[in-house]
Amino acid sequence: MTDPVALPHASAPRDAAVGASAGPARRPRKRVPLFARYFAFRAPIGQRAEVTIGIVASIIVLALWEVSVRYGWINALFFPPPSNIAATLWGMLSDENLLYHTGVSVARVWGAFLLSAVMAIPLGILMSCYRSVGAACEPIVDFIRYLPVPALVPLSIIWFGVGEETKIFLLWLGTFFQLILLVADDMRRVPQEYIEIARTVGARPIQVLSHVAFRAMLPNLVDNLRISLGWCWTYLIIAEIVAADSGLGFVIWTARRYMQTSEVMAGVVTIGLIGLVSDQLLRLLHRRMFRYL
Amino acid sequence: MASDYLVFDGITKNFGDLSVVAPVFDLSVKRNEFIVFLGPSGCGKTTLMRMVGGLDTPSDGEIRMEGEVIEKPDLRRGMVFQSYSSFPWLTVAGNVDFGMKYRLDLTPAKKAQRRDHYLDMVGLADFADTFPNKLSGGMRQRIAIARTLAAGSEILLMDEPFGALDAQRREGLQLELRKIQAQDSKTIIFVTHDVEEAVFLADKIVVFTKRPARIAEIVDVAAVFGKERTLEMRDSETFFKLRNDVLRMVRKSAGTIQ
Ligand SMILES: Nc1ncnc2c1ncn2[C@@H]1O[C@H](COP(=O)(O)OP(=O)(O)OP(=O)(O)O)[C@@H](O)[C@H]1O
Ligand SMILES: [Mg+2]
Repeated sequence: MTDPVALPHASAPRDAAVGASAGPARRPRKRVPLFARYFAFRAPIGQRAEVTIGIVASIIVLALWEVSVRYGWINALFFPPPSNIAATLWGMLSDENLLYHTGVSVARVWGAFLLSAVMAIPLGILMSCYRSVGAACEPIVDFIRYLPVPALVPLSIIWFGVGEETKIFLLWLGTFFQLILLVADDMRRVPQEYIEIARTVGARPIQVLSHVAFRAMLPNLVDNLRISLGWCWTYLIIAEIVAADSGLGFVIWTARRYMQTSEVMAGVVTIGLIGLVSDQLLRLLHRRMFRYL
Repeated sequence: MASDYLVFDGITKNFGDLSVVAPVFDLSVKRNEFIVFLGPSGCGKTTLMRMVGGLDTPSDGEIRMEGEVIEKPDLRRGMVFQSYSSFPWLTVAGNVDFGMKYRLDLTPAKKAQRRDHYLDMVGLADFADTFPNKLSGGMRQRIAIARTLAAGSEILLMDEPFGALDAQRREGLQLELRKIQAQDSKTIIFVTHDVEEAVFLADKIVVFTKRPARIAEIVDVAAVFGKERTLEMRDSETFFKLRNDVLRMVRKSAGTIQ
């Protein structure tokens, strides 16, 4: 009775159930109606099912769109069908240097995004760790955060001209002030218990911050970075429409001038595809990095 | 003097208008003593523990360890928390290692040995490489116990550490805890709501009143049972009687308003 190991039946089944998921070998699975399987409230449906459903749904939307144009329900001049957009996209790759423009846009987005992140992460952390820093920064941040970026385009051109600086500045402006608050919030949400565990085992404040608090906020931080990368694209198009001779915004705006709807669409689709791919990659990275969640 | 090891000297604690520890709370704990706090929920036990840990400061008065006023946490006082007690991004072994991360006096080999020893003791050796999200509530609690023991603090502050454990595991760990306390001469303050557990573990039981925490009674269990504890003791007449006495005190103190 003294030794818990002497009574295996008391603890073994419960412990074992955690490690092994399978029950007895290969019994025929219980039949679950199809609808119940895929529409169980908050229940997982499996990764493969998710991917399949995502692809099938997209194909259905594209097919409906294509059919609607073919049958003349929608005017192809304003809403060219997917097949047409795809062909245009292909042509633009060779004739209009689409890859170059895409590269320029991606570089601008990432440049400004990294600049925002590098500045917002330490500042956001400081704001939440020291209430006086937070109190000092919050009014300013909140004020700028609500300014619409397009309204600042004229000022930005006066300050920086029409070169790369203006674009980077506008993108930075649109993301930095949002991100800083998100970072501060992520840090604030780290349970106080984690901080206290670290302190009671002898960590100095700087160690508490880097070994525990930062580590604890990391999953949320990566998520918020992913979201602000998306905002960057919104502001990029504004910046490139106003003052640029390269980039996807420029391509779209030029095509509009000649009423090349399918080229406009092709530009938009390119942005969408980049967004889809980078978002999925970042999600994958998130899953890989934070397996413990 | 031995009796001056840990001293609550005339302390009070208020959170705003809320008085949590009654004015002038005095208690003296000897080195190597096992103290159990017993009292109604919300009376201020956790608050007292946090102040010993240095995570909170008394509104008035001071808590001293070996004559030194406690102002901030350090390695000499380890704590097992009631909630969020392990880091989700570390494996079970990693969590236990964390307890020794800032101990510069131990070699890596020694640390690994201690880790394995305590993992084994709390029955988590098979789950060393598992992440806490795959474990039950009671198993997570055991991670925290192993981490705190591995850290090797002189004073262990344990806030309902066995609350979510099954009876078997609980008995096993109670015995181990008494053993560790005797072998490594630890001083332990332990919070529980379980009167039987209190009587079995304690050298001294401090029974609290309702909030604001005040000492209703102090039961000197060591005077009856000495330092040695065995499971047979639990079935004895004396144990039964003492348990009932304490139970009566708890009922009475929970009812009194002063
Ligand atoms: N940080 C805080 N701010 C304000 N009030 C607090 C704070 N911490 C605790 N309290 C209050 O102090 C009182 C005592 O809380 P404490 O956690 O010490 O109780 P406890 O004795 O540990 O209870 P339990 O047995 O349920 O764990 C409660 O009424 C609680 O609401
Ligand atoms: Mg408590």
